[in-house]
Amino acid sequence: MTVTGPIVLSKFRKSSITFIAVLIITSAPAIARAQFLHPKISKKETTIRNVIILPAKVSVVRDSMKGPEGMAAESEDLSGRVEKMLAEVLDKEKHVKTLNTPAAATGEGDAQQKYSVADFQTKFDDLLPRIMKKRSDVKKARFTIGDEVLNLNLDKSVDAVVFIRGQGQKLTGGKTAFVFLVGGAPAYLRMQIGVIDARTGEVLLYTDPMLVGDPTTAIDRLRKALEKAFKKLPVVSVQ
Amino acid sequence: MSNLKVRPLIVVALCSCIALTSVAPAALAQKKTAPVEATPPPVREEFKFGKVDVEVLEQVNLLDRRFERDGIVLEDEATNAYLFRIGHALIPAGLTLENVSWKFRALRDPQPNAFALPNGSIYVTTGLLSLIDNESQLAAIIAHELTHVMRRHTYVQNRSNRKKFLTMNIMAAVGAYAPGGIVGVAIQAITMIAPFIIVATIFGYSRDLEREADLKGIDMMISAEYSPEEMVNVMKVLDRDIEGENIRLFYNDHPALRERITYLSSYLGGRADKVTPQMELNREKAAYFRTLESLMRHDVQLQINGGRFRSALYIAQRLVDFHPDSENLFWLAEAYRTLGPRAPQLTEKELTNSAKKDAAKKHEKRTDEEMERELLATAAGQENWKAHQQKAEELYQRALSADSPVAVAHRGLGMLYEKLDRRADAATEYEKYLEMAATATDRERIQRHIENLRRPPQ
Repeated sequence: MTVTGPIVLSKFRKSSITFIAVLIITSAPAIARAQFLHPKISKKETTIRNVIILPAKVSVVRDSMKGPEGMAAESEDLSGRVEKMLAEVLDKEKHVKTLNTPAAATGEGDAQQKYSVADFQTKFDDLLPRIMKKRSDVKKARFTIGDEVLNLNLDKSVDAVVFIRGQGQKLTGGKTAFVFLVGGAPAYLRMQIGVIDARTGEVLLYTDPMLVGDPTTAIDRLRKALEKAFKKLPVVSVQ
Repeated sequence: MSNLKVRPLIVVALCSCIALTSVAPAALAQKKTAPVEATPPPVREEFKFGKVDVEVLEQVNLLDRRFERDGIVLEDEATNAYLFRIGHALIPAGLTLENVSWKFRALRDPQPNAFALPNGSIYVTTGLLSLIDNESQLAAIIAHELTHVMRRHTYVQNRSNRKKFLTMNIMAAVGAYAPGGIVGVAIQAITMIAPFIIVATIFGYSRDLEREADLKGIDMMISAEYSPEEMVNVMKVLDRDIEGENIRLFYNDHPALRERITYLSSYLGGRADKVTPQMELNREKAAYFRTLESLMRHDVQLQINGGRFRSALYIAQRLVDFHPDSENLFWLAEAYRTLGPRAPQLTEKELTNSAKKDAAKKHEKRTDEEMERELLATAAGQENWKAHQQKAEELYQRALSADSPVAVAHRGLGMLYEKLDRRADAATEYEKYLEMAATATDRERIQRHIENLRRPPQ
């Protein structure tokens, strides 16, 4: 008894902590994550009125008892949905207009233009791990992808370019039961959104919203997560 | 009492373990190095599509489309036709496979890699195409990848992974690198869509399947009149680590490569003795470079964009060696300018595993500009920068005095002078560039630079 007592207590404590953590996560389906603004935005030296949203790269996998399986078609649909929803949120909440994405970004247009957009997306992918490592440095104006952004030859009225990345998983029935009984990561979607100055390439805003639930069906949660993620972005005054 | 019964069992178990651990490695080693006299038939006839396999097929078809849409596929008809010609020469005549439609394409990715999707799409990255020396070496890579498709290795491996839960661990390993450009553009895209393909592209298939692909590849090369020893040579070419990368892809995984070289050499034996005139032709370096010169130039830019400055220099130097007094001089100048204060080659010490791990950690924390500033604060960094800026300037000037001068050399000089704070010179070079390249896509950007440089410093 003297030997097993502390072990049982410790096990009980561990499982209670896990249970509470799961409870907190599931009761807050759209988790507000920190938002980091460039001083130009926080001091209102620059106003973002018009943006373009580059094709989102959001991927979800179906996690089953036999490991994760790709969901290519669903990931494509979700990427499109996130782009559309973010445009709606920016317009409704911040009066920021989303202009048409360049044709090259959607796979049309000549090869050279397509390459420019692809290389620009890769540049953001290169920078992203560094931003994620020290997100608060966005406030110190530390991150930029360079003024090569001008080579995209965007419309003069575009103030910023939005990049969206996301990873998530949905669970199969078996895996849901397993997670409920044994524990493990629930269904979720985590995104990384960067807003880049269309003239200088500086990172003006970085946010990483997250939602708990099936990312392919939790539409309301997705909207709420996006609304919360852009809460700090100043509202554009409408004249 | 119970202790007495258990003790002999423990002793027996321990003895068995000792016996197994001493015998098993020897058996494995024998299996690894044993000469293989016969390879399996080119096609896995007994393979039948199941529901899981059809799902895999759907995923990879989407992946193909995504590569095209996202601008990752190199849209160069001449290169893709060249790859197609080599691929078709290797495929056994009259072979048709269910759910396979052959496509051979180059991917705009500076990371040296090649992979096959089970639907018959073979991809070779520009990074790999720029490193190899001749058509036969390319044929060796394609033959290897063709075998993966013909012997249905992706499906076989996927079925096996599902049993072993292996994908989960692999995803975790990849997760340590992604998101980020460290693992290469193609792998990034694959991670998003078809995680199971990661197994093949990053780690290779199981050793047995890889060995099968290597050996069948040699058979296919001989049939198509490609010198089979180029399969060994291509492994040697790839057995170098220019960037000191912590992540090892299948095509540059050193220990595995060395083992492959050993068994391939043993399998070749007398097979490499017969050399036909066509085989000699296919080994010509000049012909290969002539065909892929513009692709290699494109790759130098991708290497620079991806922060792989040493690889950019290596490839640009190869281009200049092959074709001096040409546009290639501009690319070598670009490589030197962007190399900045970095040393052109890594030292032995920098290539040790622990040094590579440290470098990878540093790379994750700092931006390229920050790393450059850090290096410039050292004497060695200053010295490198001085030497590289001089080389770059000289090469840009040579590129401009060549028979057909390239406008972008003026832009390069402008960038170099801007960095050296020679403001007036920089503005002049930029203006010359815009004069020569009336339809330049970066006109707006360069004009902004000129405006800034012409403005009196505050």
